[in-house]
Amino acid sequence: MFKPLDPLLHSELRLAVVSLLISAEEAEFPYIKEQTGATAGNLSVQIDKLSAAGYIEVEKTFKGKKPCTLCRITPAGLKAFEEYVKALRSYLDVKQ
Amino acid sequence: MTAERSLEIITEQIERSRRTITENSSIALISWGTCVFVFALLIAYLWKCHGGPAWNALWAVMWLVGCLAERLITKRKEPVPVTFVGKTIGHVWATFGIFMGAIGIIFGLAGSGLLPVTFTISGDPLNAHLYVNLTSIISLCFGIASTITGFILKNRIVQVCGFIAGLGGFFCALQYPWSEQLYVMAAVAVIGLIIPGLVIYFQKQK
Repeated sequence: MFKPLDPLLHSELRLAVVSLLISAEEAEFPYIKEQTGATAGNLSVQIDKLSAAGYIEVEKTFKGKKPCTLCRITPAGLKAFEEYVKALRSYLDVKQ
Repeated sequence: MTAERSLEIITEQIERSRRTITENSSIALISWGTCVFVFALLIAYLWKCHGGPAWNALWAVMWLVGCLAERLITKRKEPVPVTFVGKTIGHVWATFGIFMGAIGIIFGLAGSGLLPVTFTISGDPLNAHLYVNLTSIISLCFGIASTITGFILKNRIVQVCGFIAGLGGFFCALQYPWSEQLYVMAAVAVIGLIIPGLVIYFQKQK
């Protein structure tokens, strides 16, 4: 039986953002933009969606005089990611 | 999006993050290694030609120069995420720095007579002495910190270089008189920090 895939994570960019944040305690917006290759506008929209779902935490701060946006994964985000990987495994196991 | 593609995205992003951390560590290894190398040779020269071991106080200047260089490099670089691996490596080297700094200061103060302590062994009070080879100890700890960094980064080159630098430096320093031990320290910096740093850096550029 296939487990349902979380629709919020089942998107290329949102999954890439969460995967990046899994291995980092926190990451700045420009770093995520560079690593995912997304445009600032699109990335901003996807980050807002993840933040609204409680999967990530967004902190607007300053680095010297420059504004800086920090993103962190939340425990809810971590759990959702684990569930997503489990569900993904069920699909891959059937295929193999 | 297929399950395979999802898995590919996850693997790719985690791998990218790991690569960034490794690359970032290589720059820190090169900059600190260069600092130790330059200051070891400079202090060796000054000690031999312009006075005595008092020039060892320049190690404090090296620490300042190293911190400044690291700050400048970090400012110019692309932002790097805060990760558990990066923090752990930082803690390993900070621990090394604190211990070596404290030992250096205590020996420096005792040697200059500012600290009323004599490090002697009990026994014949006329010949009681304790020979502590600071370069050997520092080289060994250097090698240990470098090898641990190699294990954290899962990088065989850093592990091997750390091992050679630590043990090689420990035994070599025992063979040479004081001022010449600084050449051993310079070699330890090259083998334990600069070479692994350069290897990692150029591996990641490919």
